[in-house]
Amino acid sequence: MCVAALLVVPVARASEQHPSQAELEGEVMCPVCGTTLDQSSSPAAQQIKRVIAGRIAAGDTKSEIKDRLVAEYGDSILAAPPRHGFGLVAWWLPIGGILVAGVLVGLGAWRWSRAREPAPPPVQLDPALEQRLDDELRRFEG
Amino acid sequence: MARSARLTAQAFAVAVVVGLLALLVWRVAHDDNTGVSQALDAGRHPTAPAFDLNRLDGRGRIDLATLRGKKPMVLDFWASWCVPCIQESKRLEAAQKRYGDRVAFIGVDTKDFSEDARRWQRKHGITYPSVHDGSGKVLAKWGGLPIPKIFFVARNGKVVGELVVEEDLSRYLRQIAAS
Repeated sequence: MCVAALLVVPVARASEQHPSQAELEGEVMCPVCGTTLDQSSSPAAQQIKRVIAGRIAAGDTKSEIKDRLVAEYGDSILAAPPRHGFGLVAWWLPIGGILVAGVLVGLGAWRWSRAREPAPPPVQLDPALEQRLDDELRRFEG
Repeated sequence: MARSARLTAQAFAVAVVVGLLALLVWRVAHDDNTGVSQALDAGRHPTAPAFDLNRLDGRGRIDLATLRGKKPMVLDFWASWCVPCIQESKRLEAAQKRYGDRVAFIGVDTKDFSEDARRWQRKHGITYPSVHDGSGKVLAKWGGLPIPKIFFVARNGKVVGELVVEEDLSRYLRQIAAS
């Protein structure tokens, strides 16, 4: 876990400081086609790709580039919802849903395991009846 | 206890389903397929939806509502990436020379990068003022893509028509100039 964190944090920081054209094209929407930039070759998408290339060359961070695009086009230019305001709902709702589902499944399993009937005790036969059964079986097999 | 837990779970499930249905209804109700373009196609002449946006040239804002009743308007929805917009905006620029004293010509640069838009205006000699509608929310109220979209608004704020064929320009300009 710690090793993974040690690996992920520097990669994320490098991505923030020196974003690549490809990763930004996957995180920014084309405003006229409803897809991310990397899926579109429309003139509007080409325009934003040029702007991104220019800002990367100028040394802007990923956040600075995204902020600039949001200032021009609004929040809808980002492929992922913003992590503030109403956009937080989109981030937390699935996590909340998974947690609630986990709790419900756990509760169900717990109730199910408690509700199971214990195995019935072996039936005690009357000794006379048992003797008679044994005699019958012996006669049948003999 | 078990019964109340089951009832709670059922109520929760029903609430989730009702919530999702409400969300669906809200989305369908707000799915803006009822812009000015569509209204004109249906033979109606709606009141021009208001907007209050920053001017591209940085000289303040244009609030459409303040122009209502004062001057008829031509609204030109354009973007610097839109190739057919060049020709249409140039035609409006020429028309402005003739009707500019009686009709307000306003561009709405939409889903565009403002720096490119300003460069585009200089390059093509477009002098009538434009506002910046980067998110395209105003365009959506007027009917959405594709652009160019050019609307003619009478002095009383009613949208008279949309430019569809070349002849519409002079016809509608005469109509709104006389309004």
